[in-house]
Amino acid sequence: MIEFIEIAERARSGPRVDEKDWNMMLFKKMQALTKEYNINCQDVDEFLNTDNSIADAAFQAAIDFIVDMGAFCISTNRVIKFDEFEVKQALRDAPNQVHMGEGRDARIFKQGKIDGNEPININPGHHAPFTEDNGSLVVKNFAQIPRTDFIEGFNFPAVDGRDCYHQPFEAYAAIREIAWMREGVRKAGRPGLAIVLYPITTKASSLIAPMNPQLGLRPTDGLLMSTLPDVKVEYDHITTAIVYSSYGYFSVNGSFGMAGGFCGGPEGAMIEGIVRPIIGYMCYGDTLHYCGVEHIGYVMGERIILHPMNWARSVVYQAFNRNSNLIYMDWNITCSGLCTETGLLENAVRSIEATVNGAALYAPRVSRARMNAGQTPLEPEFMIEVSDATLNAGLKRKEAGAILHKIATKLKGREPETGKTIHECYDLIHHKPSPEYHAIYQNVKNELTQLGLDFYI
Amino acid sequence: MSDYIEKLHEAVLNYDIEKAEQIATDAVEAGVNPLEAIEKGLTAGIREVGDRFHRFEIFLPHLVLASDAATAAMNVLIKAIPKDQLSAVQRGRIIVGTVEGDLHDLGKNVVVMMLKAAGFEVYDLGKDVKTDTLVERAQELKADVIAVSSLMTTTRPYQRELVEELERLGLRDQFKVIVGGGPVTQEWANDIGADGYGRDALEAVAEANRLLGIQE
Repeated sequence: MIEFIEIAERARSGPRVDEKDWNMMLFKKMQALTKEYNINCQDVDEFLNTDNSIADAAFQAAIDFIVDMGAFCISTNRVIKFDEFEVKQALRDAPNQVHMGEGRDARIFKQGKIDGNEPININPGHHAPFTEDNGSLVVKNFAQIPRTDFIEGFNFPAVDGRDCYHQPFEAYAAIREIAWMREGVRKAGRPGLAIVLYPITTKASSLIAPMNPQLGLRPTDGLLMSTLPDVKVEYDHITTAIVYSSYGYFSVNGSFGMAGGFCGGPEGAMIEGIVRPIIGYMCYGDTLHYCGVEHIGYVMGERIILHPMNWARSVVYQAFNRNSNLIYMDWNITCSGLCTETGLLENAVRSIEATVNGAALYAPRVSRARMNAGQTPLEPEFMIEVSDATLNAGLKRKEAGAILHKIATKLKGREPETGKTIHECYDLIHHKPSPEYHAIYQNVKNELTQLGLDFYI
Repeated sequence: MSDYIEKLHEAVLNYDIEKAEQIATDAVEAGVNPLEAIEKGLTAGIREVGDRFHRFEIFLPHLVLASDAATAAMNVLIKAIPKDQLSAVQRGRIIVGTVEGDLHDLGKNVVVMMLKAAGFEVYDLGKDVKTDTLVERAQELKADVIAVSSLMTTTRPYQRELVEELERLGLRDQFKVIVGGGPVTQEWANDIGADGYGRDALEAVAEANRLLGIQE
């Protein structure tokens, strides 16, 4: 693997390119690669891919992209170049499992199997906005989910009553965020549970600030360090990777391809969705990747868009599974809010597709989350149940795809529902949903049972 | 519609920069009214491109290419407009940026393209833009509107800082401020004293039109 300081050197001295030119070069390259490898979503009927050759072609297209184009550093407007040997060496070196946490709370997070039968890993949490009065209580509730393998930080816009902007405040807030997380997991009786820092900002100062084995991030914890859309990286993350590499950490990379962006349609997004995790490992040492393909309209919470995005995501997951060790997670970001049937059905879609494609669950939050309305513990608990019910029913990609088709038919034409805040639909003291939310949840489970899932309860 | 105007329209829809520039040159030589060519050829074409993007039929690069084609033709046509009529094609000058500490620029990029598509003169300052830079550039460019995006709850206060800084400098009346981004709401916009809020790119355009008194 290339040393991070060498990555920094290439970012400092690589070919200089204007960012707009990079964006358009990327678009043209994606168009050329989708044509060369015959990657096409337009005529796809199935909801989940079952053709291995398509996954392999997409993976090879991604390797070609990295070797021909590299990655763009926005801090220097220079391109970090790689040769084919370096890319293949990185893919060979990447771990297929990550050990995290301490003591009896230590976990192993690993790459799943396509059409497998083992329970999948799960990470709830992930940067929904909460006011600080909810701090450790929210964390406690998510840590109370027994299957939680690690918990990612939340988004607290104010700490100790002070807004978290400007560098000293951002560093302070990062330290306090981890302190609340630590307190929350202790309250849940899981003091060794791995914590992942959600960056208050992406500046190196705030990423490095909580590094503290007693009170802050331990070497068995992690941090979120994502490659940017359109295959871009930046100095602050490279700096952070250099600092943490002698300390110990694991890092998470948000790295999906964005259909509608500069990569073009879902076809280009499939290639970007494979490229970004590889770049994340090579430039930042990222070992867990929430990735796949998303649609710009879905991520912005404008419209529930499923097909062919489900299919495109399944190609990305299968490409990693068949060609690399990289550990990939299905990122679930619903258009609909809390305490809605539509939101739970969106969650179910992601859980089913993740399970049969060997993806772990980077479990949910609402895409345009309002304050204290981004997530409750019910959604990850529900997704775990759906995943287990998928396994219990013995579903493989083909049957699972047919169920996704039926759910998509049900969701067709629905507008995203705003939903409720966590306090309106969840009791954080007793760790249980409101009667209204429980009834919705139970109804959705009944619907899914009728479609062929096999729930324990 | 004259043949030239129709061809300009087509060149924008086909993202053909060279052709757009050439047709504009030919149109000027043929005595076509440049104001009409801009309004019915370029602006109409780019509006259609914007609509297609909003329907998810095309992607961000297509918006960029269409905008480049329209700009190339516009640069030719605008020279042929008498100075006293220039105001007819000038819809307003907008600077756009993602606030300091925030590297998310996808939504901002869409807004930039849709504003251009609506005929505004847009200056994209990029991402991670300091408040001071926004203010300085707005003054330098004599902007009408400053539009700022924030995708993180933690970076959202920089939008408030912008409004406060404009007030402190006595510049608040010179610029309209539009805010947007994932965690941004109308309530937040009201709280910080912004002039407008766009939930998405289309709303941002509508707000810019409203604030500058332009009828859509």
